[in-house]
Amino acid sequence: MKNKLKYFYSYIPLIIFFILVLFFARQLILKEDPSELPSVLIDEKFPSIALSKLPGYKVFSNKNLINANGPSLVNIWSSWCVPCKIEHEYLMSMSNNIIIYGINYKDNKEDALKVLELNGNPFYAIGADRDGMQSINLGVYGVPETFIIDRDGNIRYRHVGPILEYDMEKIILPIINKIKQERL
Amino acid sequence: MITIIKFIFCFFIIGNSVLADANTKVAYELYEELRCLVCQNQSLLESNAPLALDLKKVVMDKIELGQSKGEIKKFLVDRYGEFILLKPKYSMQNILLWLGPILFLFIGFFVTFVFLRKQSMYKAEQLPLTKEEENSLKKILDNNVS
Repeated sequence: MKNKLKYFYSYIPLIIFFILVLFFARQLILKEDPSELPSVLIDEKFPSIALSKLPGYKVFSNKNLINANGPSLVNIWSSWCVPCKIEHEYLMSMSNNIIIYGINYKDNKEDALKVLELNGNPFYAIGADRDGMQSINLGVYGVPETFIIDRDGNIRYRHVGPILEYDMEKIILPIINKIKQERL
Repeated sequence: MITIIKFIFCFFIIGNSVLADANTKVAYELYEELRCLVCQNQSLLESNAPLALDLKKVVMDKIELGQSKGEIKKFLVDRYGEFILLKPKYSMQNILLWLGPILFLFIGFFVTFVFLRKQSMYKAEQLPLTKEEENSLKKILDNNVS
């Protein structure tokens, strides 16, 4: 009996080693970025925020999101944000099928307008958050961020960072399609 | 002389704006307890990231409106999640986080206790050498010396 126990004791380091391996492998395989925060607003109503108008574009307010015909995206962007430039083309390609609203974050009017003029406008309506105070209600902590909103105006998903091709194909569009199939 | 006056004046201004203001004191306490979400291991107080500056402004505005520390923390937790608190809440969800170290300390005590007891048991089991063993030991030792 005593010998058997001793036999077991000698395996403890090995067991701990394998537990650690599993622990690290999980992080390695899932490729979760621990610095990306989950939104606390998932399945909650999109908060009511007051945004100002960007001349020449329809102004976005959270009233747009209530009783919508389908899912929509809300994208927080800025002209000074380099990753936003990278995701721009994917927003453009999605804007044919999905309504995308923009929140122009801590930007100045002229620069924002110039970007839209040069690179195209993927947004159905845009609201400007000049001092960044309104976006705090959304829990925004960096640009770009993108929220997926369902028909009832509830937030279903938050994407932190630029939407790349992989994100669009594997994450954003599947969720959009899932929402589209609800109640149909 | 003028420099000294300037110097004292500077101190007066700095002292007045930083220390004398009770609101500022509360604000600084809060800044230390809140995480900057951009540089995630810094507090708001240490961080100069644009978002940190904005959040500091939000905190300051709310203090001036007379909100309590708890209310302000709740406001931010509702938007950014508990992660924004540098010191986790005492809740059931965080119980392992708070009691874990104590748990491990006790496991350590237990292991040490078992280990020490085993050692003392081995000592008790030690028997004096028999005549034969003593002789052979002596032989070995003598051989080594010569």
